Amino acid sequence: MTAPNDLRAFLKAIEQSGDLVTVNGQVDWDEELAGLGRLSCERQGPAFMFNNVKDYGGWRVTTNPIATWRRMAVALGLPADTSVRRLYEIYAEREQKTIPPVVVKDAPCKEVIIEGDKVDLFDLPTPMVHEGDGGRYLGTWDIVVSKDHDSDWVNWGMYRFMVHNEKYLTGYPRPTSHLGKMLLDGYVPKGKPMPIAIVIGADVNSHFAAAATFRLNGDEAELAGGLAGRPVELIKCHSNDLMVPANAEIVIEAEVLPDGIAQEGPYGEYPGYRSGEMGDALCCRVTAITHRKDPILTLDTTGFMDSSATTTSISGAIAIKRRLEKHGVPVVDVYVPPEGGVHLAIVSVRRGGAAVAKQVVEVLTQRRALISKVIVVDDDCDVFNIPAVLHAFATKCHPERGTHIHTYTGRANALTPAYSQEERAKRLGASVAFDVTWPPEWPVGTTPIRATLDQMYSPAMQEQVLRRWQAMGLK
Amino acid sequence: MSKVYESFVRDVSRLLNGREIVMCLRDLTPGRKKYKGINVRAVVSQPPRQGEDMLWVRSVCGVKFPDPFSVRIVENMPDVFKGAPYTDYFDAMERAER
Repeated sequence: MTAPNDLRAFLKAIEQSGDLVTVNGQVDWDEELAGLGRLSCERQGPAFMFNNVKDYGGWRVTTNPIATWRRMAVALGLPADTSVRRLYEIYAEREQKTIPPVVVKDAPCKEVIIEGDKVDLFDLPTPMVHEGDGGRYLGTWDIVVSKDHDSDWVNWGMYRFMVHNEKYLTGYPRPTSHLGKMLLDGYVPKGKPMPIAIVIGADVNSHFAAAATFRLNGDEAELAGGLAGRPVELIKCHSNDLMVPANAEIVIEAEVLPDGIAQEGPYGEYPGYRSGEMGDALCCRVTAITHRKDPILTLDTTGFMDSSATTTSISGAIAIKRRLEKHGVPVVDVYVPPEGGVHLAIVSVRRGGAAVAKQVVEVLTQRRALISKVIVVDDDCDVFNIPAVLHAFATKCHPERGTHIHTYTGRANALTPAYSQEERAKRLGASVAFDVTWPPEWPVGTTPIRATLDQMYSPAMQEQVLRRWQAMGLK
Repeated sequence: MSKVYESFVRDVSRLLNGREIVMCLRDLTPGRKKYKGINVRAVVSQPPRQGEDMLWVRSVCGVKFPDPFSVRIVENMPDVFKGAPYTDYFDAMERAER
């Protein structure tokens, strides 16, 4: 199997694997289609392709492209039943073998070009995602392309963007995001608008790369090529010089205002809540819209277990592992469970103890602090086995000595629901490491032994028990 | 026929001070342009005044106040308020009132 080369090939592949439901009856863009997508996230259900969207003949909308591990596997060109551990291994391998993009001159995303006074964002079937959101969110599963003002660094990120009116969008790439850094360090001080392109419906690996936790100054187009196993084709935008994936369904070209803002949010976000983080965003004027003749708009019905849960689960965990290794932590495995809303990481270490737990939480909050809880376990606990992790946490973490809190100012995650409005505004926060390891100073003879088959029985007896188990036809 | 809008507030008391205030309304008229934002100078009343447009108000978390307000638009404002990215939008509206 090879990774699908565009959105349509991906949709065909997940249809074949039984992970796509096509809806031909009319569905309302105003909450209804997003409600179906939301329920599907909560029940680990299929992706949807809506072929008949109210008020928007000729347009189609698809939801939650890779919100399940099965669809993530298909996106990577693997069998749908590939294990999560194997998906992690594949990502870690491919992330190290990035492939540079190639430039093309023609692409379907230029079949229709709308510019100047003819731009009207309400011509797109932008869904109202949740009742009570600040507006209709066009950017939910997007690639936002921007370029550093003073260097050749190009960033792809996945950031939310809301329709303000016919020609203006407001968005919330966090100020600590790569785009936020480019804007605040380069364009705003010079009073210049920052060109951006919001890409919708490119190949899923390009979106995966945009959503991934990737190094500062890293080229996500190269990462996307590595994940897909082939170079991404790029084409120049119509109204600016940015390069975008040529296989995109829709491209919104815009410029972020250095001196203008408008209402953005609130919005039901990936941690699974609408937390009131409105009032400090950015605003951009759309300069052109290009799209295919029969375009498909993609939507991630943001919230509990959305597509960012799986993408960040993998890329975040691999980034955490690499960072801990770099700082000398004896890390073995890292898992970011999708159910944790990108707030929880489980880290296994060869040798634990209080000093290691403290080091883990300090390293993971140095630049920005998205993860607020880290469970540090011994390496005999499989980080992907949540019942085993819960058992270890409940029994091995000392309520007093095992809790290591690290506080910070200016880099907390404003989307963390636990924070008050005041903490959110000041980016005040804390992360905690739960030390679920045996203290290394405890003598072996008095360190408790887990009462499980693999630890409290001799290898010979384990073998005999497993043999009898299989003979009884048990799995 | 009167229209229906909604607006998001950090402090609802700001709406009901009897003065003209600057605010962003989202137009709830059904159709393709539903939820379009318009910046206006307006006077808000509760209970709603007869003949004025209806206004539903929501908190910054999107929680809807149970009783409706009414709004009288005095003038339309520019599409965007003055302010650098990531500066407070509620402060920008208050600055635009002066």
